[in-house]
Amino acid sequence: MNLSPMETKRSLAIDPTSKGFGFAVLESPATLIDWGVRHASEDKNRRSLEKVSELIDRYQPDVLVVERTTAKGCRRRLRARQLIEDLPGLALEHGLRTKRVSRRRAQLCFSKTGSATKRQVAVALTERFPELEPHLPPMRKPWMSEDERMSIFDAVAFGYASYESWRRENRALFLLSLDPPSFHA
Amino acid sequence: MSVPLQNYLRTYRKRSGFTQTEVAFLLGSDDGMKVSRYERRVQRPTLETALAYEAIFRVPAKKLFAGLYHKVEKETMSRAQLLAQKLAPAKAVRVPSRKLAFLRAISSGQPASRAKRL
Repeated sequence: MNLSPMETKRSLAIDPTSKGFGFAVLESPATLIDWGVRHASEDKNRRSLEKVSELIDRYQPDVLVVERTTAKGCRRRLRARQLIEDLPGLALEHGLRTKRVSRRRAQLCFSKTGSATKRQVAVALTERFPELEPHLPPMRKPWMSEDERMSIFDAVAFGYASYESWRRENRALFLLSLDPPSFHA
Repeated sequence: MSVPLQNYLRTYRKRSGFTQTEVAFLLGSDDGMKVSRYERRVQRPTLETALAYEAIFRVPAKKLFAGLYHKVEKETMSRAQLLAQKLAPAKAVRVPSRKLAFLRAISSGQPASRAKRL
């Protein structure tokens, strides 16, 4: 696969949960470097930001990927929304760029209509990244709350979608015969 | 392109599904603490350990320690350039041309086999 320079940038995707957050580190749309969940207690947002900061120091990403909370249909609760809004500030402190991806955009990468369920996206991701298979939770029953491991799949989906988004932007600029955007602009 | 991470031990371990304790056992160590330190880049593994990692994951050490390799390669290339510069004036005094070709190949990142043909 021929990858543009932007598609070989390391990205750290964060997906907040009620107990902390899930994360994924990608080096290209096909290379998953690390993934997992981190727990945060008491002052959850402050602790989460500290842990994200540790991840940034460890993986030195070029871009931080978060969910676009202003997108239509975003159902994040206030605390998670606040955390997502605080993350670009943290990224700026570390000299990173932030990429916001809507959930629908992430779903569109895995289904043409964008109507894929979280489970369908997670299953599609295990086909692309077989190393994620042990983390795939069992099918959720109506009385069960969501398994926190789903945040890993959400984070990977956001990270993956960010590369798709760059590819689309570059294609559009190429068609318009403009220079592609500088990564650090 | 991003600068590669110093090592990708954690990535390959997680891909293979091993725990840190299991990898420690394969490396001949007592517990997973050392493995954790290698993965967090707190401690650098010995040459024996690096080769053991290569044998476990079936991935060349060059790829496992991509960042470290990148750094060492860069430093070696600049040293080769310096040595070539040092030897160049003495060329008339019988420095084998093969040696200079080899040094030029190292500093330009070409494979050594190519230098032999130069």
